[in-house]
Amino acid sequence: MDDKTIEHDDATLTGSRFFWQRAQLIDRRASQRYARVLLRGPGVASDVAVGQFVLVRYSDDACLPRAFSVMSASDLGLELFVKTEGRVREKFATAPRGTVFEIRGPYGTPYLDKISHARKYVLVGGGSGAAPLLYFRKRRPELVAGEVYGFRTRDAAGLLHEVSLTAEREDGRRAHEQLASVWRPGQGIIACGPEPMLRLIAARYRDVDDVYVSLEARIGCGIGTCLGCSIETSSGMQRICKEGPLFALRELPWLM
Amino acid sequence: MADVKVSRLGIGFASPVVLASGPAGFGIELASEIALARLGAVTTKTITLHPRRGNAQPRLVDCPAGALNSIGLENPGFDAFADSIQPRVAELPVRRILSIAAASVSELHKLLRKVATLDAIDAIELNLSCPNLGGAVPGADSDEVAAYTRAAASETDRPLLVKLPGDSGNLVQSCERALAQGARGLTLINSVRGLRVDWATGRPFLDHMYGGLSGSAILPIALARVFEVRSAFPDAVIVGTGGVNTLGGLLEMLMAGADLVGIGFGLMVDPALPQRLVEELERWMDERGVAAVNDLVGAAQRGGFDVQ
Repeated sequence: MDDKTIEHDDATLTGSRFFWQRAQLIDRRASQRYARVLLRGPGVASDVAVGQFVLVRYSDDACLPRAFSVMSASDLGLELFVKTEGRVREKFATAPRGTVFEIRGPYGTPYLDKISHARKYVLVGGGSGAAPLLYFRKRRPELVAGEVYGFRTRDAAGLLHEVSLTAEREDGRRAHEQLASVWRPGQGIIACGPEPMLRLIAARYRDVDDVYVSLEARIGCGIGTCLGCSIETSSGMQRICKEGPLFALRELPWLM
Repeated sequence: MADVKVSRLGIGFASPVVLASGPAGFGIELASEIALARLGAVTTKTITLHPRRGNAQPRLVDCPAGALNSIGLENPGFDAFADSIQPRVAELPVRRILSIAAASVSELHKLLRKVATLDAIDAIELNLSCPNLGGAVPGADSDEVAAYTRAAASETDRPLLVKLPGDSGNLVQSCERALAQGARGLTLINSVRGLRVDWATGRPFLDHMYGGLSGSAILPIALARVFEVRSAFPDAVIVGTGGVNTLGGLLEMLMAGADLVGIGFGLMVDPALPQRLVEELERWMDERGVAAVNDLVGAAQRGGFDVQ
């Protein structure tokens, strides 16, 4: 599909993070519950840091857009790894290649700006929470001590061939249980996934230094103004879309 | 070339498109990316005397054609606003409307005495209608509207707008009381109280049960309220707010009787929307031979208007 087929008349600020940019669905691999999609457009940012997310909408939807962590970004486009349930996400599973979505972003503070670089981390991903961690291991493999990915169904494994996933070798043990056998004292943890998973990790590793969790909320504006994604932290209210999505576990007493 | 400038409250506004209180924050984050100078005004997030943490997550719930919000007036409180935010707001290349709220009339007096020390505020919007604080909103009771407005008007020389709910109380009566007690204008409407239940758990999505519905779902409600109030008060200044996210919605709001049009949820979805609406309005007026925004305001009250 040729990028030039995308009209770009209203993007007066091509590349602006505040403007919707058109992007075509270039490639998709889908399983029953997940899809791995590649989106590309002339105004879409390619310099996305690990842990940042984009907002995606399909046509002039009058509802809130959806936030997705980026799984990889390059001149080839943005790759997302998504669950195929829900309004925008269903489109990812069914729309023909060439379908035009709209993207704005990236938003959020890069993981590498928030974590200590002095230690290695076990990455723990639950479901589509694996996406930013796969990006992390690709960009900064030297900071990775181990990896655990949990999926409710095994079908996701077929989509993630180029990385060796613990999920493929484990028999449905939940991510936090696997973590116990992978994590070693002195290592940090970076977790991204559903809140129940994060709570289990928080309960067991609350006293460990450098445990970080990537949080999710319904994102409104994405640019830090609407406060739809504010959460309480030990240093006051912070925004998942701006100061987050990654927070040190110790900043989040309500999670422990 | 069509003129989108609007003059009201003794203030010249660059266009009728204003940022409604809430989604735009304080306008500061937008300044580097959006042509704020094209907008009529930025209305700040509502400031209260004391800091407020706002409500717990979730704060946003999807709805058909909109969303429920339950932010709960999170703000740093007046002192922190004055110290660290207001100086940056003062530098924005756009008119500034300060939104304020208070839990009581006496608190409102205290707050406005502090507000009097601020520079670079063009008008004050008294928010009597936030649906996310639990309990009834002052704007639902015309006696409360009168009491709060009287208190506010006694403490400020700046133009005072009163923001009222679209879904409770006798709105026309409340507007009458507000105008009689010194309000120079009315902001209509706040988000509309709504509820969504998570049918997977049987529980409401929001901690406070109810949230404020905004988005295109409430456009017809806002239009009806603006029309009704414009009919009753031909000379009142009205900031019509609620569900405008297209040029068509903007035109409807003006024609229903709004002098200025607030953009809230529309900015949340698309931060570039307000600027684009001004450009589209200008183009539309040129094409239709409409010389001034005034020719559009209240056109629906007058049985339409004559353009080619």
